[in-house]
Amino acid sequence: MSLLLQSLVLGVLLGGLYALLAAGLTLYFGVMRVVMIAHSAFLILAAYLAWFFTRTTGLDPMISLLLTVPLFFGIGVVMQRLLISRLRPATLTMMSVLLTFSIALTIEGLLGFAFTGTQRRIRLPYGGANFEILGANVAVVKLIAFLLAAVSLGALFLLLKKTQFGQALRATIQHPEAARLVGINTDRVAGYGFGLGLATAAIGGTALALDSTIYPSLHWHWIGPLMAIIVVGGLGSIPGAAIAAMVLGLGQSLLQIPLGTTWAQTFFYIALFATLMLRPQGFFGGRLAQRF
Amino acid sequence: MRSASKALGLLAAVAFVVAFPRMAPDAFILSVGVVIMSYAVLATSWNFVGGFTGYISLGHAAYSGLGAYATGLLVIETGMNPWLAMLAGGLLVAAFAVPVGIASLRVRGASFVIVSIALVLILLLVFQSWGSFTGGSNGLRVPRPFGTDVLRPEQHERFFYLHAVLLAVALLTWWLIDRSRFGTGLKAIREDEDKAQSLGVPTFQYKLVAFVVSAFFTALGGGMYALWFGFLDPIFQFSILVGSYMVLMSLLGGIRSLFGPVLGAVIVGYAVEYFKAQYGDTQFHLVAMGLLLALVVLFMPDGIIPAASSLLNRFRPQAASIREVTAAELAEQRRSAADAEEREPVTEGARR
Amino acid sequence: MTVTAAAVQPNLATVGLTKSFGGVTAVDGATVTFQHGKVNALIGPNGSGKTTFFNCVTGMIKPDAGTATYRGRDITGKASHRVARTGIGRSFQLCRVFPRMTVMENMLVAVRSTSLRRQLASARDPQELDRARGLLARVGIDHLEHSEARDLSYGQQKLLELAGVLMADPETIMLDEPAGGVNPALIDRIANLVRDLNAEGKTFIVVEHNMDLVMSLSDHVVVFDRGRQICEGPPSVVQNDPRVLEAYLGI
Repeated sequence: MSLLLQSLVLGVLLGGLYALLAAGLTLYFGVMRVVMIAHSAFLILAAYLAWFFTRTTGLDPMISLLLTVPLFFGIGVVMQRLLISRLRPATLTMMSVLLTFSIALTIEGLLGFAFTGTQRRIRLPYGGANFEILGANVAVVKLIAFLLAAVSLGALFLLLKKTQFGQALRATIQHPEAARLVGINTDRVAGYGFGLGLATAAIGGTALALDSTIYPSLHWHWIGPLMAIIVVGGLGSIPGAAIAAMVLGLGQSLLQIPLGTTWAQTFFYIALFATLMLRPQGFFGGRLAQRF
Repeated sequence: MRSASKALGLLAAVAFVVAFPRMAPDAFILSVGVVIMSYAVLATSWNFVGGFTGYISLGHAAYSGLGAYATGLLVIETGMNPWLAMLAGGLLVAAFAVPVGIASLRVRGASFVIVSIALVLILLLVFQSWGSFTGGSNGLRVPRPFGTDVLRPEQHERFFYLHAVLLAVALLTWWLIDRSRFGTGLKAIREDEDKAQSLGVPTFQYKLVAFVVSAFFTALGGGMYALWFGFLDPIFQFSILVGSYMVLMSLLGGIRSLFGPVLGAVIVGYAVEYFKAQYGDTQFHLVAMGLLLALVVLFMPDGIIPAASSLLNRFRPQAASIREVTAAELAEQRRSAADAEEREPVTEGARR
Repeated sequence: MTVTAAAVQPNLATVGLTKSFGGVTAVDGATVTFQHGKVNALIGPNGSGKTTFFNCVTGMIKPDAGTATYRGRDITGKASHRVARTGIGRSFQLCRVFPRMTVMENMLVAVRSTSLRRQLASARDPQELDRARGLLARVGIDHLEHSEARDLSYGQQKLLELAGVLMADPETIMLDEPAGGVNPALIDRIANLVRDLNAEGKTFIVVEHNMDLVMSLSDHVVVFDRGRQICEGPPSVVQNDPRVLEAYLGI
């Protein structure tokens, strides 16, 4: 029983991180109809930066967020303006996949170049600490990672719902032509949307670095589940992505008990195929998903 | 004139392929030749879906890997004739591709790419974990079709020709589809799927058929590779990198031309093998691959063959026959006349 | 060209067709009947849902509610290639051709292949080539047969699109702004084509903003406002209907 509870708690904690990252992936897709394969590569890059930051300065990895979040936001804007917007609209979906895929490969290669393929892990003074909640044993770092993700996701949600920029962004996602007609500079909004998406990767990466061992090719273990999440949630829907992330994260965590870690991962892919077979527009998707 | 020079070029290419094993100075170069041939088969097979429909699959390693394992396992478990096993493997993979295609092609673009990557990742997981059947991470030793009395260089030579035959069959099939009505429909899907459907093209069925044919040939390529190499490791069989090689090769050569993927396979395959021999397996691979793919996508999405042929056309007015030039000029004159007619409606009446 | 009302047969007809995007209802319970064998026009102010209506009946998008029938057969929510097979051809608002295929290849896309053997046969069937050349000559771009469609001028692309639609030999042709963005001489050419084809028995349903063209070309006019029909009738009647003026001028 306590094992089940343990898995439930871990599932929620993992789901939070998935939700943040899937929200980022949804943003790119929303503003540009781009499936951003490099999202998880940036995630690992941020994790490496956090690790490197702690190793060289001895400070807490979360302080690296002050650097990586603005940096990644900037990279996202530049990437959208200089690379993605160069592609012809007719072939944008396919070519942008290739382009972001090539960015992912380059990042993976450069990480291997700079830090070798050795597995890395941050040593934290509170790294081994746990506490008990309802009989489940939870590592402090996992809780911190979850809180980081939850707070960021909340902030992102408020930004989208309450600010004028958020409104412009949502309008651009829902109907770019109409958004242009009412005077929204959709190009600029798309750039910022990209920046925001990449910023989620920066936060997620730092959260990941707190309690995981990292290595350059780790991003492939993330991109699959994340893409499954955004399809299940309905391409382009941020709440859908968040809900799907929680459900699938919990599912993975629970299935680990009878199946073990490796086979539990297949849960994401089974959910992906099942969704495409039964409800190709996703479970929470709106109009967007129908045509993609 | 043009078709004559094309036939000549084709003849020269065939002669080169036939002569290559004799010209190769040592067994290593010959084995590189086999690898490049194998890449050419895979890239051409990829191009059944990529070139015709414009749907980019990053996960075709799933089908080559499945084909390889199906062939190997059939030989090991049933003691089947290896070539029959290869064919059966191809058919099994084609059957497997049907539900995958139904799931990923019903909706447009993005889902297809996502499924293609997800499939490689899931298969890697499964083949690594299911050790009792697939050999897991320890790999799977595939028995050789030719006895041990056949020495290594001789093995390479035979497999070089066998791959060449498979490549020829794939190319012929591609060419036949290209000139068929089915092919015209597929190309229309690549250009504008909605429009094609509104003209009565059953787009989903067409895409599905092209996809299954592509998976079939890719699996045959994988199966033949398994019989040649004799050892399968999930990490290399279900590798995102192998899938992206197929994309880069096809794109670099030109996905809309018959020989584009072959040309790309020769260039990329040679470069990959060269770097492997010089520097071993380093991370540099990934960077080079990533940068090259980005450059092609950004600056040469149509590939070398279309770029080269348009360049060639610009410099070859004298080379062509006189009749051809006048015909072209005539068309040009007419076209500019038609344009003028459109810009200045007043002159139309005057001209008549 | 007055309607003698003797035997007006319905062509395309919809009942309560509705489609909304998010909060915006583009087509709102449209009940319309177009007349068979005639040139029908569908007009209305910008954003009145004409193109969405086209897309709903031709299967490009699925309507939320309502039915569409074509000559008595239900075509509601059918995939667009199935709608095409019932005998409806259509053009697009911003003309769409296959840019990197030659003019001839563009024509051959619409050739229907019923059996597997025909699907796998060479696309360059002499009979079809002849028919395609005939149609290209008819719209006046036969000299461009070997050019890639993207090298054509906009007007030529519009003619190619029309010829491509004709290649499928549809009974009914839906044109979305045939005169949009083309010069007056070409408008005349297109109008004459429509008249000739109509005389040969083709039904037309035309969305158009050029009122002179609509009034001179059509037998039957349907006026849309806010996603539904507000009035219909022969051009002379519609022209003077106060509801139409109101819709256009927003009084």
